[in-house]
Amino acid sequence: MILRGLASLLVAGLLVLNFVLPSSPIGVRGRDAQVRADIASALAVGEPLPPLELFDLDGRRHTREDLLGHRVLITFERSVDW
Amino acid sequence: MNRLRLYRLVMGSLGVAFFLFGVAMVIAFFLYQRPNSTPLVPTGPVGHYFVAFTGCALIAWAGGLAGAARDPRASRSIGTMTIVVLILMAFIRMVAWVVGDYHAWLGELPRTEASGLLLLALALIWLKPTVSESVVPRVGGKA
Repeated sequence: MILRGLASLLVAGLLVLNFVLPSSPIGVRGRDAQVRADIASALAVGEPLPPLELFDLDGRRHTREDLLGHRVLITFERSVDW
Repeated sequence: MNRLRLYRLVMGSLGVAFFLFGVAMVIAFFLYQRPNSTPLVPTGPVGHYFVAFTGCALIAWAGGLAGAARDPRASRSIGTMTIVVLILMAFIRMVAWVVGDYHAWLGELPRTEASGLLLLALALIWLKPTVSESVVPRVGGKA
């Protein structure tokens, strides 16, 4: 009976906590926060591209110098390997 | 309806629900392996690996719950562990609720689920047969 009472108290406490706890606003932590920080530090239109080294799906290396003098469209996709 | 019958009903219903969830998860894994398939669960190959694992575990848990529904007095530990895991699952949802990323994806769902799981745990705490209720008098002499 004592164990039941203690277990019930624990569950009741969690139930109360469940309704009292606030949810963090979106972007306070984790992935969303990182995305927002990245956007805040993103390049503005007209700014030069910083040095970069990217690999395409075939494993070929691309640098900023390779792209100079060309019109380039770069797209980024989330890998399915997760 | 007496307490023991209600306990059996709850455990049996949970067993059926978990069995169906488990089978659905295993099927989702196999369906995902088809070329160009749309995943039933919004996750990738690694996620589906864990989905299949969870499905198998749920099927096993369902078997235990069915045993507890058939003979609650002989399967008290299944009831105890079910209560512990229901509380743990609720706690995980509470953490998901606090973390903003999950809230962006699931809205109020983690908190609602946590409340349901905790209420279910509370019900099972009081419905589960006690130790003294589980003692079955033996008829005859040596076993």
